[in-house]
Amino acid sequence: MLSRIADSMYWMARYLERAGETARLMEINLLYLVEAEEDMGEEDKWRPILQINSSEPLYIEQFGNGSISTSRVLQFISAGRNNPSSIRTCLRLFRENARVARDRISKEMWEAVNEIWMSFNERLKGPLSAERAGNLFVELRNQVARFNGLVASTMMRGEAYAFYQLGGCFERADMTVRTLDVKYHIILPDLSMVGSALDYYQWAALLKSLSGFEAFRRNYHSAFMPADVAEFVVLNRDFPRSIVFSVKHMGSALQIIGLENKDATGTAFANLSEMVGGTSQQIFDAGLHEYLESLLEKMSLVHGALAEEFFQ
Amino acid sequence: MYNAGMQGSKPRTPYHEFYADDFTPRDHYRLLWDHIRATGNNALEAKAHESQLALQAEGVTFTVYGESEEGIERIWPFDLIPRIITAPEWVKIESGLKQRVRALNLFLGDLYGDQKIIKDGVIPPELIYQGRDFRREIVGIVPPRGIYTHVSGIDIIRDEKGEFLILEDNLRTPSGVSYMIENRVIERRILPEFFNKYRVRRVEHYPSLLLAALRALSPRGAANAEIVLLTPGIYNSAYFEHTFLAKEMGVELAEGRDMVTVNDIVYLKTTTGLQRVDVIYRRIDDDFLDPLVFRSDSSLGIAGVINAWRAGNVAIVNAPGSGIADDKAVYPYVPDIIRYYLGQEPILNNVPTYQMTNVKDREYVFDNMERMVIKAVSESGGYGMLMGPSSTPALRKEFVDLVQENPRNYIAQPVVYLSRHVCYMDGELEARHLDLRPYVIYGDDIEVVPGGLTRVALRKGSLVVNSSQGGGSKDTWVLAE
Repeated sequence: MLSRIADSMYWMARYLERAGETARLMEINLLYLVEAEEDMGEEDKWRPILQINSSEPLYIEQFGNGSISTSRVLQFISAGRNNPSSIRTCLRLFRENARVARDRISKEMWEAVNEIWMSFNERLKGPLSAERAGNLFVELRNQVARFNGLVASTMMRGEAYAFYQLGGCFERADMTVRTLDVKYHIILPDLSMVGSALDYYQWAALLKSLSGFEAFRRNYHSAFMPADVAEFVVLNRDFPRSIVFSVKHMGSALQIIGLENKDATGTAFANLSEMVGGTSQQIFDAGLHEYLESLLEKMSLVHGALAEEFFQ
Repeated sequence: MYNAGMQGSKPRTPYHEFYADDFTPRDHYRLLWDHIRATGNNALEAKAHESQLALQAEGVTFTVYGESEEGIERIWPFDLIPRIITAPEWVKIESGLKQRVRALNLFLGDLYGDQKIIKDGVIPPELIYQGRDFRREIVGIVPPRGIYTHVSGIDIIRDEKGEFLILEDNLRTPSGVSYMIENRVIERRILPEFFNKYRVRRVEHYPSLLLAALRALSPRGAANAEIVLLTPGIYNSAYFEHTFLAKEMGVELAEGRDMVTVNDIVYLKTTTGLQRVDVIYRRIDDDFLDPLVFRSDSSLGIAGVINAWRAGNVAIVNAPGSGIADDKAVYPYVPDIIRYYLGQEPILNNVPTYQMTNVKDREYVFDNMERMVIKAVSESGGYGMLMGPSSTPALRKEFVDLVQENPRNYIAQPVVYLSRHVCYMDGELEARHLDLRPYVIYGDDIEVVPGGLTRVALRKGSLVVNSSQGGGSKDTWVLAE
């Protein structure tokens, strides 16, 4: 298939996944605000979200220091036109890439793309109250799920599909790494606390933003132990939002695409796979933050190799 | 020279296609009229709403340029009352278009070959050589099968007497055919009961006709043809149509940057390496086609594609250089072109046209500007045009200067009051002006798809039907015998 179309299928999936994951993150954060600790200011509540969204510097540049408030962040992350990671921007680019690949996606998918963009573009126009935003996030998650259902049920299992899967898994892994990294830091400021049980609400929020709360509870019966959470989110092969799960599925997509004469991609992906093949002990020995940073670096090498060998 | 009978102009009444007089519809509209009166306006309102939703969901859009970074994508405006053309009317249109396209292709072959028509004094040489779309670079190249315009979209209007006249030949990259088909799909979905009353000829096979014509041009044989639709990209106003046709034909939709030329062979850049291309259905102008031959600043084209074409390794549709035949300054000569090559009288007439290079014509036009349309010869889509009746004195002054500066660049035509038809506008049936663009495919033979794109000027009283200027459209029914 055309390199440019492969690129668009890949990014189409990434932008939709990013929009959906961001909505989930925001939704959970809003819910937990209602009952948050009294001494926790709005700054503390929303800064991590800006960090995960990689838009903190842009936000500060736009609104100044000490300006973080619920209503502003809601607006900025949801509808910010000049925020390249806002939900609106993601959905716009999702549709733009779908338009480029219009002749490769099914009619059902295309109609859904249009519906998603038009309805959310409309709903993101007015000022967003917390309540309206909450409903909007839930609705967007439903739409993303529905869209991925259409992909599964109407799309030919060829290269285009494989690039779509590759993009989706890549973005999901990326969001999981960043969510874990940022949240972990806040919840566990002091490494000496690694062995102690943690704040129930904070950890529940983290797991819920990854849709993994119930599964975690079934797997680990003790209180929330940092090592358990990290192990679950990074290494559990059955948890669909774990990093190892996403990486495994990137591998299946790459197999369909074929890696003949694509040495850079092959090598970069092998390195990434190797990193998620260890044990939680190894991760903590290296330091979780360092481990996650190095994961992000490996992922960006994979992305670079893909761009070099497939998208140009 | 062409102004016989145009002098003493009294107010004229446009032809009404639907009504014979104030109270009765024409015969072929009677069944439709009875049906509309029986079901009433509420039913129409519901149908109109339904058609809007369908167009929106399917993303049937066009893009209006120059407004914001995201471009303004508008839903294709569709009017649900169909326009009906009777079988005898169609016979005349069809034979007239075939004759015209045949003659224009012979003309192009001659211009880029021996130029007999110039030597015989039928066409003034300066008219051709000064034409922006005459491409010296390709003189002497004979395209596959000697065909230049595989796809033509020829604009037809009806004058005050109801006569069909040719308004414009679009021989470069005529657009709109996808809307012809979408209009039919929507009309059939929301108004199946209308179709029960008439025998309407089908139009949806257009992409398969086009595909067959494209395949036949492949240098490696039709069976192995790798065909590409070349688009300028998603911001082009006709991008919807490009994706539509690529999907319907099952061919690759590519941009210039997706292709490279190596040793006079064009290749697609794919995830598994280079893949040879046989036929390019290009939807970009000659100017942008090949930066090595035409505009060097073009990033939309494929460097080296003209050499590959010259070597016979790739076919380009429509052939480069076709634009000179639809140059508006050449247009007044088309009747003579038909007589010269075919020895026949034109079946469909032109709209009377004044040449601005002719001093007498020019003075007459300047004296009567309020009744004239002045057009820049190499513009299309309703751009670069003066509509006399609605113009301001300042604008008229501006056009006098423009014409005097470069007379070759302009023609003028008396305003023709395009025929009218009923349209459903916000709860009422109102009269609006319209034209017709049928599509002609030149493959094994010349075929005209029975139908076309009917464009409607949605603003009351307006004569401009271009979608970029507030035009809409109707499904067009050609009746079987």
